[in-house]
Amino acid sequence: MKAKVLKKLNILADAAKYDVSCSSSGSSRAAAAGEGTTKSAGICHSFTEDGRCISLLKILYTNHCIYDCAYCVNRRSNDKPRASFTVEELADLTIHFYRRNYIEGLFLSSGVLRNPDYTMEQLNAVARKLRNGYRFNGYIHMKAIPGADPLLVHEAGLLADRLSVNIEIPTEKQLIRLAPEKDFASVYRPMNQISQQMLISKEERKKYRHSPRFTPAGQSTQLIVGATPETDYTILKLASGLYSQQKLKRVYYSGFVPVNAHDKRLPVLKQPPLVRENRLYQADWLMRFYHFRHNEILDENHTQLDQQVDPKLAYALRNPHLYPVDLDKATYEEILRVPGIGVRSAKIIVANRRYGRITVAYLKKMGVAVKRARYFILCRELPQTSGMIYPEQIRKRLVRQNASAGEQLTLF
Amino acid sequence: MKVLTPECVFTYDGSLDGFFTVVFHAFHDRTEPSAIIPRGANTQIPLGSIIDVDTSVSKATRVRKGVVDRSDNRNVRLLHVAFLTGMPETNMLLWRYLKKLFQHPPGYFFRNMLDEDVYALVQTARRVRKEVHRFQGFVRFQKTKDQIYAAAIDPDNDVVKLLAPHFRARFPDRKWLIYDTRRKYGIYFDAEKLSQVELKGEAFDLTTGHIQQNARAMDEDYYRTLWQHYYEAINIMERKNHRQMRASMPKRYWKYLPEKGANWQTG
Ligand code: SF4
Repeated sequence: MKAKVLKKLNILADAAKYDVSCSSSGSSRAAAAGEGTTKSAGICHSFTEDGRCISLLKILYTNHCIYDCAYCVNRRSNDKPRASFTVEELADLTIHFYRRNYIEGLFLSSGVLRNPDYTMEQLNAVARKLRNGYRFNGYIHMKAIPGADPLLVHEAGLLADRLSVNIEIPTEKQLIRLAPEKDFASVYRPMNQISQQMLISKEERKKYRHSPRFTPAGQSTQLIVGATPETDYTILKLASGLYSQQKLKRVYYSGFVPVNAHDKRLPVLKQPPLVRENRLYQADWLMRFYHFRHNEILDENHTQLDQQVDPKLAYALRNPHLYPVDLDKATYEEILRVPGIGVRSAKIIVANRRYGRITVAYLKKMGVAVKRARYFILCRELPQTSGMIYPEQIRKRLVRQNASAGEQLTLF
Repeated sequence: MKVLTPECVFTYDGSLDGFFTVVFHAFHDRTEPSAIIPRGANTQIPLGSIIDVDTSVSKATRVRKGVVDRSDNRNVRLLHVAFLTGMPETNMLLWRYLKKLFQHPPGYFFRNMLDEDVYALVQTARRVRKEVHRFQGFVRFQKTKDQIYAAAIDPDNDVVKLLAPHFRARFPDRKWLIYDTRRKYGIYFDAEKLSQVELKGEAFDLTTGHIQQNARAMDEDYYRTLWQHYYEAINIMERKNHRQMRASMPKRYWKYLPEKGANWQTG
């Protein structure tokens, strides 16, 4: 029996790994009785060789699938070893990993076995076993299976901290080309249901404190980048709409890994587009934490993110009239828009400038990337830019610096 | 009372109360410490006369109250957290900080992050808290035959006590132990209350962090093996990025992680 579980684990973890989201945050559950908590700041228990945080046991219930999406390892036309867990095996694995502090909880996804309802019902059974059988209060992230009965999706939302429905392909036309059995409606239906039920649950909890919580950590989705020809502008516009309308907590971007190399509908890539993926995350970050709108980052005339410079720097170079920013007087929002200055530094600057002048040495100590910021701030100690900025020169200089420093793929 | 030279090396018992007692004496006797070092520490003691200070709770309390009066409770907490680095440099930083704090009118000095000592203190506490956060993830429990979940850790800072509330909230019905193998003490939770413990003998293997084979629960090796396989299986070869992995999980933390340590094959 044990050898069997090990084999399934190998197959079904391997098959789950391309779903990139790893977060386990934004929810808090305390254990009054039973065991487990979910923390609002995500905890990483380990990091994979590719540098991603392992927070949850990310795994498929099954890698059998009745569908045949071109971009997916688990599609039915692939000749691969297949396996399915039982509800008991998966619940047992989760709880024993959790007690050893290997994980924060479970991220349960699945291929579609028999039909969407059956699959959703299996996932719910695992969550139910954990919540009711083991009194597990840790984190559960589940996939809502497109096409499943709304009642089953509703039950999933009551059991899980977070639900996600992956859009995968950013436009419907391309989605249908690659996944003929899917369309946007099948994805948006559960997504809209979840966002509405979250709203209802929030309202009810205002009236009755004990009314049940529905996906307290919200919902997320994933977009595959580079499998289809959509521009970054299209992608950011889509993401921005998902944040404002569907109230998504996170949109994940996954650089396309050519798992089905022989499929003619897919581009041939030597490597997943990691730089592009990183730029999208940076742009997403700007929308969520830096008060940027998607059409400030890109627009109809600038449809692709600059691969050479990060999107905030690109924005600054396109809008020289907004700089230099005077750190002694500017508003928090204006300071946030200075390349090289992050949220934390901007807060420290605003909170402390009444004590004295913010010096360059101090900025450096705070971790501000002065070599970038210097062109965009007013500062006594820096050689005067006389308020004039020459975007092309700055750009050249910074790109050269990046190249020699071997720019790291990080956020600002 | 000993006659004091203006520059002295103070030694104390390593506790925060002990440190505050040193501060009390240094103030009281107008002595400028050249170093404040835990007794028996493995550091080079600088030249100068050495004064060994016995911890006095009442003196420490007076210093603590002085800090609260001039700032707030959160600031005392900040000092406490920074103090857990156990580094002589941090002790000197705290000393400079406290001297300034007591020179300024209440409420003014401690929020000014433009002051380099205030800033350094905040940064130091941040470093310690970061390690606490990391170890909330990196603690690896092993189940014993007696149903105790036991973990060995070897953090840079003395964070085991700061970890306890998190695990107590997480496993309120379970017995667990988190043991710092370098500082040779740990926190034990018996499903009701926390206590500080010191273990005799080799409870943990110091290279792998394993508990002795004959103390392990039957299923312990099974779940550890599953976990090691899981770690291998979810890696995406095409995206290999060792630099980032090491930045997030520095090598010095690997030895007690079953998925990384030397114990992968040997069990
Ligand atoms: S439905 Fe999901 S698992 Fe099945 S082939 Fe499509 S993407 Fe893969």
